[in-house]
Amino acid sequence: MKPEWKAWAQEAKNEFPRANSALMPLMHRIQLSEGWLSNETIRDVAELMELPVQYVESVASFYSLFHRQAVGKRVIHVCVGLSCALKGSDELMHALEERLGIKEGQTTEDGAYTLLEAECLAACDKAPMVQVNLRYEGPVRPEDAERLLSEEVPS
Amino acid sequence: MIRLTIDGQEVTVPQGTMIVDAAAKLGVDVPIYCYHQALGPLGACRMCLVEVEKMPKLATACTTAVSEGMVVRTSGPAVDKGRRGVLEFLLINHPLDCPVCDKGGECFLQDYTFEYGPGGGRFQEPKIEKVKDGPINPFVLIDQERCVLCQRCVRFMREYVGEEQLLLEGRGVETVVTTVEHEPATSQFTGNVIDLCPVGALLSAPYHHKGRPWNIEREESVCPHCPVGCTSKITAREGHVIRMEGRPIPDREWGWLCDRGRFGYDFGYHPDRLATSIVKGKENTAAQATRQVAEWLKTVVDQEGGRGVGFIIGGGHTTEEAYQLRRFAAEVIGTDQLAISRTEAGYLPRGLNGTFDDVKQADTVVLLGSDPYDTVPVVHLKLRDRLLHYPALRVIGLGPLPLTRDTLPGLDVLVPPGQESLALALAMAAQWPQNSDVQTLVGSLKEFELQGVTAQTLVQLGQYLQGAEHLVLLWDGKEPEMAMVLGVLARLREKPTAVLPTFGPANWRGYEHAGFSPRFEDLTAVLEKARDGEIKILMVFGADLLREYPNRQLVESAFNQVEYLVVEGILPPQGAQHVDALLPGAAWAEVYGTYINMEARLQVAMAGVQPPGQARPIKTYVNTWARMLMKPLNWDEEWDPFDDDSGDLLPFEPVPDHVVALAMPPEAVGPMTLVTGAFIWESGQPSEILVPRVPQFPGRINPAEVKDMGLSTKRGHIMVSQGSESIVVAVTADPQVPKGILWVPQGLFGTNHLIEGTVTISGVTEEVTV
Repeated sequence: MKPEWKAWAQEAKNEFPRANSALMPLMHRIQLSEGWLSNETIRDVAELMELPVQYVESVASFYSLFHRQAVGKRVIHVCVGLSCALKGSDELMHALEERLGIKEGQTTEDGAYTLLEAECLAACDKAPMVQVNLRYEGPVRPEDAERLLSEEVPS
Repeated sequence: MIRLTIDGQEVTVPQGTMIVDAAAKLGVDVPIYCYHQALGPLGACRMCLVEVEKMPKLATACTTAVSEGMVVRTSGPAVDKGRRGVLEFLLINHPLDCPVCDKGGECFLQDYTFEYGPGGGRFQEPKIEKVKDGPINPFVLIDQERCVLCQRCVRFMREYVGEEQLLLEGRGVETVVTTVEHEPATSQFTGNVIDLCPVGALLSAPYHHKGRPWNIEREESVCPHCPVGCTSKITAREGHVIRMEGRPIPDREWGWLCDRGRFGYDFGYHPDRLATSIVKGKENTAAQATRQVAEWLKTVVDQEGGRGVGFIIGGGHTTEEAYQLRRFAAEVIGTDQLAISRTEAGYLPRGLNGTFDDVKQADTVVLLGSDPYDTVPVVHLKLRDRLLHYPALRVIGLGPLPLTRDTLPGLDVLVPPGQESLALALAMAAQWPQNSDVQTLVGSLKEFELQGVTAQTLVQLGQYLQGAEHLVLLWDGKEPEMAMVLGVLARLREKPTAVLPTFGPANWRGYEHAGFSPRFEDLTAVLEKARDGEIKILMVFGADLLREYPNRQLVESAFNQVEYLVVEGILPPQGAQHVDALLPGAAWAEVYGTYINMEARLQVAMAGVQPPGQARPIKTYVNTWARMLMKPLNWDEEWDPFDDDSGDLLPFEPVPDHVVALAMPPEAVGPMTLVTGAFIWESGQPSEILVPRVPQFPGRINPAEVKDMGLSTKRGHIMVSQGSESIVVAVTADPQVPKGILWVPQGLFGTNHLIEGTVTISGVTEEVTV
């Protein structure tokens, strides 16, 4: 457990009437600094929030934006919802896979990128679209893959 | 009360009742998966849709509370369509592997699909594949593909048991039930999720692929391992018990079992099970062995009369068997030396004995030396149930070790071993100083100071004892004088005071009812007479005295002295070399009979299978002996252990009101005290199935005490000595245990080589680490 987590937990708790409401903000904050949530982190969070490990694990596994495995610095979610699929999300995924030399669900060896698919991200106007960390990008055509990877992205 | 109409029938139920329970009252069955009365409403599965007049859409019967004048229809085109739709969704990713599913034939998913479901689904996409037969722990398997995510199991473990070991992981169609960090669930109650699971997702590992409803026979029974006597069902196939299930009784029992009881049914098929008679170390026919014993009995009775014969009963015998044995002893042999194999010195008078109904009403629970989780697990669940309904439940542990738990929080009053009755008496003296009985009790304790307990704590304890509206005390039976103290307490309080004895053997109250003496003194007296040569032939039924009796030396000298030692049992006892005739007995599930549990309640256990080989019930033995001794027993009048006036509870008897002063406890002479206690994994008969679960290092000691003994890990072996005797005990270093205490399960590691009290401990040269 990092020493500052205790203060973060307290800050999160102060914002909500009940501990379990503060759980997600705290996990987001920890993930932002750690990159992902390990079993150990889950146990620490449970202790900080005075919640059962079981509960925290359930919540963390429910949301796909909480990573339960180590991920790269940039996590690229390619939307594979209906609109994006019709607009060529498959080709985009293949292009990204080729550029990065990994398959969907994997992380590059240098730890720079993780490539994941996402169900509809509710931005059909931008189809085919991707989410890089927390920012939406679109439309991204397969030939734009190179440009997407070279862009500066705030974490 | 609320009046409403369900399917045209009017019904009146209390406010807050859910439609599903109101319907059940009328005998109208509403299909449910997620709802369970013990767990309360959730509304996750949507199976219980019903039509409520004036509601725009179908309502879930399990989450909709009744209201005045409500009109409910549980069938009809709208309801049928709703249920059909729900089932179609539930089955989208279901593998439809009923032909190889253990639950096939007793599955609510099958039954409801047959009754309400569509003939086929319209979903053509490939099904999502998940884990099949994955482990929850060595006894419970999970097939995640068959799961309908009703959450009964998760909620049971989290809310009811309070041990959060199961969870829902993931989201949507990917959601699965699994264990925390995929580690095996360790709770004592995991097996209950098998009974709770309405579909084929949670399965019993020992029963996996062993049978289906049309191959098996079920018999109603009672779990034989500990004095709770949980109501259960035996599943038998081709003469073998292959499963135990809980047996709910409406308004009384939920049908919970602990894992010890649920999976420990295989003792009848233990590799060491006795199936042949052994006389003087040689296998023999049943007829010859029985005749030989009859000849010994005749010789002794001719020379000495009946007083030359002593009977000791123990193990898992039924009340009826004890009665048959008592009649043989009284009418044929002419002896009243009938004792029960007790491990603890205390005896609880019937008048103080409470029932589980008392637990349901309790506002204060005192644990006297007994941690129910480890001794009588299902009582722990009953206390949890009470805690859920009455969160203000006050729990007080009184003993040498902490007895409360995270799942049953409360106040722990730690007293030196053997001084629980003194502590209770002193607390009563603080609260009722003027009472003459209390004054008598503490009369010789003027100079006495209870170590580690402040006067303030005693005052507070006294206040709690008086203030409790409904007091329940769980007693481990270790201190005989406790019964007297409890008697005084019950008289003083003038409000309900119920004691539940947690000590064994499981059916000791039944043996008492049949005419055996439950007093530890009488057992000791029989053994002493055997040692002194007054008893020539010792007849032991079901008891393993060298393991059970707290003073092994006495048993050994008795066994050495008697001319004949006859032992009946289902497994060979310790010290089989002393035994002149070893007779195979019938086990639980092989004889019909009643057991009397810690509530003093008679419960019937049916027989499901045949005894193996030469094994036979006690009645067969005593009949044969009686005939050979020319005094055949007459069984024309059937003995009915039930009482006309008190039903299935034993008749009430007044509590003796004789009070004497409690003696000053002996001075502690050493820094380490040995304390033994009942431990559910060691109670009852051993089970092969349970081997992976039985703790290998069950002794408990404070880490500081073993720091210098080469115990590099948390667990290891230590040498425990007293006088010239030494034993090796496998211990776990447990910071919960106070310094100066070594706790060892009753009957393990040959603890009865030593007398409870001061011991010295030392390291073992060959360290065994795990």
